[in-house]
Amino acid sequence: MQSTPVAITGVGQTPFKIHHAEKTYVELAQDAAKLALDHAGLEPGEIDAVVFSMAPTQFMGVNDADRWAVEHVWGENKPFMRIHTGGATGGSALQAAYYHVASGLYRNVLVVGADRVAETPDAQHILNLIWDRFYEHDFALNTVTMAAMVGQRYMHRYGVTQEQCARVVVRSRRHAKQNPYAHLKGDITVDDVLNSPIISWPLRRFDICPRSSGAAALVVSDLSTARRSSTKPAFINGVSSIAHTVFMGDRMGYRAEADLSDHDAFNRAAQECYRQAGVIDPAKHIQIAEIYDPFSFFQFPQLESLGFCGRGEAARISDQGGFEPGGLVSVNLSGGTLCTNPIGVTGLVRVADAALQVMGCAGANQQPDVHNAVATSIGGSEQFLTCALLGDDHLGRN
Amino acid sequence: MKTYVLNLAIHPPAACIGGKRLEELVFDVTHRALASAGIEREEVDNVTIAACDELDGRSISSMLLAMPAGAYMKDEIKCTDTGLYALILGALRIESGLHDVGLAVSWNKSSTAPFEDVMRMRCDPFYVRPIGLNATIADGLFARAMADKFGITEDDVNEATLRAYARASRNTRAVGGGIPTPAEIANSPYVSFPLRQRHQAPLTDGAVAMVLVSERWLARHPRHQPLARLAGFGWTTDGYNLGADRLSNLRSFRRCIEDASSRAGLHSLDEVDVLELDCQTGYHAAAYSRALGLSGDERTGPSGGAFAQNPYFCSGLVNAAEAVLQVSGSAGAIQIPGARRALAHASHGFAQQANGAAIFEKAN
Repeated sequence: MQSTPVAITGVGQTPFKIHHAEKTYVELAQDAAKLALDHAGLEPGEIDAVVFSMAPTQFMGVNDADRWAVEHVWGENKPFMRIHTGGATGGSALQAAYYHVASGLYRNVLVVGADRVAETPDAQHILNLIWDRFYEHDFALNTVTMAAMVGQRYMHRYGVTQEQCARVVVRSRRHAKQNPYAHLKGDITVDDVLNSPIISWPLRRFDICPRSSGAAALVVSDLSTARRSSTKPAFINGVSSIAHTVFMGDRMGYRAEADLSDHDAFNRAAQECYRQAGVIDPAKHIQIAEIYDPFSFFQFPQLESLGFCGRGEAARISDQGGFEPGGLVSVNLSGGTLCTNPIGVTGLVRVADAALQVMGCAGANQQPDVHNAVATSIGGSEQFLTCALLGDDHLGRN
Repeated sequence: MKTYVLNLAIHPPAACIGGKRLEELVFDVTHRALASAGIEREEVDNVTIAACDELDGRSISSMLLAMPAGAYMKDEIKCTDTGLYALILGALRIESGLHDVGLAVSWNKSSTAPFEDVMRMRCDPFYVRPIGLNATIADGLFARAMADKFGITEDDVNEATLRAYARASRNTRAVGGGIPTPAEIANSPYVSFPLRQRHQAPLTDGAVAMVLVSERWLARHPRHQPLARLAGFGWTTDGYNLGADRLSNLRSFRRCIEDASSRAGLHSLDEVDVLELDCQTGYHAAAYSRALGLSGDERTGPSGGAFAQNPYFCSGLVNAAEAVLQVSGSAGAIQIPGARRALAHASHGFAQQANGAAIFEKAN
């Protein structure tokens, strides 16, 4: 990548939980914005532009609520733009902010958003409305039933068991204990997961993420600000996304360019990211992975597509502790999406948690010698995929 | 700026494009833009969409519409503010140095959306929604503020509205439908005082796609001749709450034009040959021209603007397309002779909360 160096210089997150009854939507966004600004050591007046991260507005019932939030996130009289690619929104918002700064037009951009998914009595009803009204609404298709079909296909192809998926949940909840912002956390057992009720086979309740409310923000800056920053910056050395067809049936079989169950379009996004950053062997150069995993099996195909291991190998490596600290790569030390899913900012939280590791600010979960971290997000019918590679160095760009 | 408009397509507008699904509308306009540009979809390295879920009637509208917009297996982002921001974000992607060939696509089938229901749901649930605010009422508040600020009379607004209709009647890319008589405008019922029904531009269906390329790409493809260079752009937002100052200061409107002009290296709007402003009502037309010192100026709105076609969310990108056609000398019956520089404007949010502007120059 030959463009201008761009870095994350501030990170802010609110605690995530089922409901923030004491705060309005815009107050939540403000809390995260303030935290990110404080972390970056910047005043609101030093922010040149705002990118707002917000997915479907129907969860909280205010259309285009970003406009309501303008004053609260100090966006007044500034360039302000909302990004929305479903679950991938946070990853796409980071990408948009990157372009703002890399273009040379802006020095400091605030990326901020919030969600209140539990504001609606049934998020899955709203998520049924994302599909084609003529062909798919009546299938009772929602994100859980969608993921269940993908999970069946992946587990069948590679012989992955429910126990192996359950171990991911146990690990994530355990990691989340060290994350003060995580929604679900604690010590559970594989049996707890396997004994939780089936929601849509093979997914059980504990295989599925919660509906979370909360907010997240990042400050994205140019090199001169990064150099002056009070924190160690996390340089954005690669950003990419890829869009796939909405129709899941078109992503299976011999005519498909990429297989739904393998998330293998991610491989293209990751390769572009690595190309920009000059990374040839991800397992050698990347220490941290923050994977978008609202369902327990999601980590496996993504880690394979990101190049950390071969097809069908991730579950076995997971069993062997390969995705724990000291293993092949440390995966979702924050607890990941399985523990926290505020949809409109989930992708942003993945980037935030990856950035904190690179910046050396991850608290009790901080790993030593983190030089590079990768973060992903997924939106739509697992069709919008984003990938960002963060590093502690700007690869010699001026 | 290093971004060029290689070519574009404007879907033939209509009050209701009833014979096509939204997916077909978007596919057709994107396909036409690529064909006009003389490039294959495989050469596109990014797609930037601007769309409104609520007006599209879907929770994530790009799920079904990204592919017809050319995004299959491409780097794609959607913004949700106004059609013009597809152009702006698309240009930022190219200016970053990461991308070379992009599609900027936006659309709106206003005919299928319960427009004012969608607008009402934009109100915060605590203070504004119980009052019953919607887009028309917000425009009425804006109209009153502008009338007070600039001393605009109802006759001025009737005249501005009539002029916009007259210009639209000469635009072959307009919906058509005739010019109302002065009496029809002056005697139409109030919809939100002082705004009358015929002061409002009628909503239509429509879509626009642009092919954006980098200077670097053009250097490698000398047989391609772009329609225009994007000389500068700017966008800003004002606050949400409709206080007296917010309604009357036009701060966001002025700021985005100043930013675009500055980036284009302009010292004054006298250096611009055409201005396509987003005027949803005659009050907007009267106010904007006074704010910019352009009263009665023949350079303003040769296309008829929103009175020619008004796919609401997408209307800013329609303005951009008309501006590009002007500087490329291909605006047809409404061509301003010798136009070399044109400005396009979009606004969005209640009473013009946010505004964007882009300035195009004739490509050399």
